[in-house]
Amino acid sequence: MAERRQDPTALLLLLPLSLLLLAAFVLPVAGLVPTSLRPYIAGRGIGEGWTLQHYVLALTDAFYLEVLARTIGLGLTVTMLTLLIGYPLAYILARSTSPFRHWLTLLVIFPMLLNLVVRTFGWIALLARRGLVNQWLIGLGITDEPIRLMFNFTGLLIGLTHIFLPVMVLVLLAVIQNIPVDVEDAAATLGASRVNVFANVVLPMSAPGILAGSILVFVLTVSALVTPRLLGGPTYKVVSTLVYEQFLQLLNWPAGSALALLMTAIVLLLLWLGARLARRWEAGA
Amino acid sequence: MRIRGCLGVAALLGVAPLAAPGAQELNVAIFGGSFVDNVRTCVVEPFQRASGARVNFVLGNSVQNAARLRATRGRPDVDLAYMDSQVAVQVKAEGLLDQVDAAKLTNLPDIYPSAVDPDRRWIGYMYAATAIAYNPRELRTPPQAWADLWAPGLRGKLALGDISATSGQHFLIAAARLNGGSVENVEPGFRAIRELRPHVVTLYTQADQVVQLIERGDIAAAVWFSDRVGAAARNGVPVALVFPREGAIGILPTFSIPQGARSKDLAEQYMDRALSVDSQRCLAERQYAGPTNRKVELPEALAALVPYRESIDRLYFPPAEIVAQSLPAWTDRWNREIAR
Repeated sequence: MAERRQDPTALLLLLPLSLLLLAAFVLPVAGLVPTSLRPYIAGRGIGEGWTLQHYVLALTDAFYLEVLARTIGLGLTVTMLTLLIGYPLAYILARSTSPFRHWLTLLVIFPMLLNLVVRTFGWIALLARRGLVNQWLIGLGITDEPIRLMFNFTGLLIGLTHIFLPVMVLVLLAVIQNIPVDVEDAAATLGASRVNVFANVVLPMSAPGILAGSILVFVLTVSALVTPRLLGGPTYKVVSTLVYEQFLQLLNWPAGSALALLMTAIVLLLLWLGARLARRWEAGA
Repeated sequence: MRIRGCLGVAALLGVAPLAAPGAQELNVAIFGGSFVDNVRTCVVEPFQRASGARVNFVLGNSVQNAARLRATRGRPDVDLAYMDSQVAVQVKAEGLLDQVDAAKLTNLPDIYPSAVDPDRRWIGYMYAATAIAYNPRELRTPPQAWADLWAPGLRGKLALGDISATSGQHFLIAAARLNGGSVENVEPGFRAIRELRPHVVTLYTQADQVVQLIERGDIAAAVWFSDRVGAAARNGVPVALVFPREGAIGILPTFSIPQGARSKDLAEQYMDRALSVDSQRCLAERQYAGPTNRKVELPEALAALVPYRESIDRLYFPPAEIVAQSLPAWTDRWNREIAR
């Protein structure tokens, strides 16, 4: 770890963004902290005094813990799926020499041009009890009863993976493109098999991209609101829909703030852990 | 270059008028859908003609409007807010509502006393009810009572409101009262709904969802709002209304002026217009809203479909304060026991 003098130019360049984040993000979120520590009296509003009851409830109550676990599980699973599907896709696109490769990239990004609500409604049309998927399955005789593909983990998994796949592909594409093909060729020349080249050269070199893409998809998934509301319905809640319920149905802003801040803390912890693991992996390469 | 300059100036001019303060402008937070269209016809147009002021609507449901008032405490960006009674009493308890000047409301003496806050901080402008809606083409013998909803014949054909919708809260109260409970003791209600839950097609969160469910044939009956049934039937949806024998649950939507509203005077004029006989009759015809003004006369056919005079007495109005205080506990329990 060589010591580096902080470049004043670099700090200056970071200043506008830092100020913007401070004013538009950090301060408003910090403003939630006092709210989260206040009691809430139903029928009366936000009370006086301080209390930790909302945090305690969120961490000890079985229902809240289930929703928290479900949300994080969803985040991790969607991240893994987008990685598994997106990496080969990104690799092919990055290494492609076809004159159509830019159109192919556009095809992958194309869903992002559509409104999120429209995309989610598209999935509802496919996954509903009388939706297209079930109609095909029953029509082909694969199953007699319609399968429950909505208002559960499966429905959300499918919808969220599809919606965030372009994000993962874009990030990985940029990183893999920056790994010179010559490096792969050099490894092959030195006697490494194709699998070896991939596992020991390309993959570790794209670790920063994997990390960045995973962080992005994970954070987007656990904070998604529109898709869980539509594909999960009132019966299958995640943390963001629970926070929405507290703020805009029950007017219990203290509980909503506590939940939101708790989720933020958990996500930051997971991201930090993930970054450490990824850095160790890349360093060991 | 000149064209770019002209466009620039035009853009500036276009933005400027929006910043002008409204001495003759009234901002109203109101429910959306067919309701706001009918209010435009029945209230806003006569009001604008009489006062010359312009009315701007901001759409939201009761709780969203309440959240807006709380977030802008003391300096509201609306002069009038529509909220259901159980939300209005909470907002009043938070000290966010202003007292209406009785002298300014010429129609106030004609309003049923139970529809007006004793402190004059909220006023009910219509009556509606949570009742039973059914498809007359599918059901030869329609349900006549709340108890009929548990019948085997309706299994797999029924929709209920989620606890977040007023109809869900009201059905919980109705189920409780049906089984020996009350609005204070909803335990029997939870038990009964738990029993019913496996046979329920869906718990809807938006009132409009019921229309799609009926049209697609997914359901044959639903717990729904009386005014929505009337409006849908008029639009050709195959749906009819039944006020259950045990008593439908009454809804009292209200409007209030928040503390610190800029155009309180105009808001009071608007309220007076909305409470007038003509506007109330107009809303009854278009929105199937029961009038709160005693002096309104309705033709017989319409009187059978809306809460009106004697039928208002047959409705059960749950005490708004108790509902407001109990709602978080009910929601919590509903999430764990019913919605899973």
